Amino acid sequence: MIEEQRVIDFHGHTGRLDLYNGVDDPDLILHAMDKVGIDVSCVFNIFHPDGTTGNDITARFVAEHPDRFVGFAYVSPMMAEGMVDELTRAIDELGLVAIKLYPPYTQWDLNEPIWHPIYEFANERGLAIIFHTGSDPHSHPGLLADCAAKFPNANFVSGHAGNVAEPRAAAIRAAQDYPNIFLETCSTFRTPGVIEQLVNEAGADRVLFGSDIALMDSRPQLGKIITADISDEAKRLVCGGNAARLLGI
Amino acid sequence: MSIQFTFRPRVPVFDANVRVGDLHYQPSPCRNQDQLLAEMDRHGVDKALIYHAQTEEVSPLDGNGFLEEWLDSSRLFPQWSMTPTPDSLAQIQGLHEQGRVHSVRLHNARKVGLPFRPWACGTMLSWLSENRIPLWIPLPDADADELAMTLSAFPELVTVLVGAHYSHALWVRPLMTTLPNAYLELSRIEPLGEVEALCEAYGAERFVYGSWYDRLAMGSMLFYLHHTDISDSELELICAGNLLRILQGEGRHD
Repeated sequence: MIEEQRVIDFHGHTGRLDLYNGVDDPDLILHAMDKVGIDVSCVFNIFHPDGTTGNDITARFVAEHPDRFVGFAYVSPMMAEGMVDELTRAIDELGLVAIKLYPPYTQWDLNEPIWHPIYEFANERGLAIIFHTGSDPHSHPGLLADCAAKFPNANFVSGHAGNVAEPRAAAIRAAQDYPNIFLETCSTFRTPGVIEQLVNEAGADRVLFGSDIALMDSRPQLGKIITADISDEAKRLVCGGNAARLLGI
Repeated sequence: MSIQFTFRPRVPVFDANVRVGDLHYQPSPCRNQDQLLAEMDRHGVDKALIYHAQTEEVSPLDGNGFLEEWLDSSRLFPQWSMTPTPDSLAQIQGLHEQGRVHSVRLHNARKVGLPFRPWACGTMLSWLSENRIPLWIPLPDADADELAMTLSAFPELVTVLVGAHYSHALWVRPLMTTLPNAYLELSRIEPLGEVEALCEAYGAERFVYGSWYDRLAMGSMLFYLHHTDISDSELELICAGNLLRILQGEGRHD
């Protein structure tokens, strides 16, 4: 909690990335969270194209600390035939509450039809989907506008808010045009003025704090929200108010 | 400790890594000295060691000249950039004769294929070592093997390794172990729990706080350092004490 505001980290990973010293040690993650008042972290595993393997890992991880973590389901159109069945299992049986997608692992732009069964599933259930977004063509956040228009009951979250200037501007435009597009803040770039830009141009009610834990420590990522030149009310929304509303938690 | 939506550092802060001026492809958000000082005030930063953006990719010699207008005798201190050429060495030696060189920053000559090897950089490194001038080395431009091999040949030279990112995660510990007179600047140390783990492994005396503003937002890493298991006395060393010692030519550990 920060000043009675529940803090929710919308972007976290299970699984190891040893090249980058990314270690999903729950004790280390909880230590970082506790040091800065993060109540809940959302986690997912994007390393297995079948979805099943990673979702099981995520579910086991969450089950160890169900009051501190919530799990998101991952599927990939690289194994498209099983996507909806796996989503159904992950949400209904494993208790995962939203969806993570990673277009750079595929050969399809995020608005191409092969992804649509996932969006239909989310649309029917009113779920949030967080995407890796950035400058690569498959992940360009400008494409989210197309999805948001076709699936108005799903919520589309631009992970990293596009990461760098041009895709970030496209992400903001998409959020301005569609009420079901949100912008998530984690980025190793930590460029000055970005949090202010997202809040001022898209609205504080459309921005979600994320950290990319366990690839990155959540503390500097929260620090860029706390030290941004925005109002305390905006910080409350970004740090947890919006995520609680979006996830219904 | 209760966390709040406002943050002020609780120890004196001397930022070891601030860039000023425009890159040719990216104007700086701070247009002048007053704006930079205002940004530092907003984050509770007392002093900063500054270098000019033009030294990064255009000219260390011209960039050092552009740095002059940003200096402030009480809060903004110069870090001159240097490349292994006779002209650059002569410029830095001239500034040194005026008593104005307390650190230098390595310009990226590897970009054009000149490696960080003794045969290419030895004259520069020998002069710095003889004059007890510490060298800042940006890791995004560096090669781990060149650093380890070359700096081992200049064991008395104090270095500050700048901007270690998670993509350098496997470099950091071997370099810190191999190079006892190397410090690590912390602007991009983002692997989970790594600040505490590195301090535990090497001691807080081996680390300096830098924001790498305006490449990175000024406050986020400072906030992080204030929310770790390290003690306030260690925090004081990291946020200012170690840098002061290095700039006074007293940075050697061995």
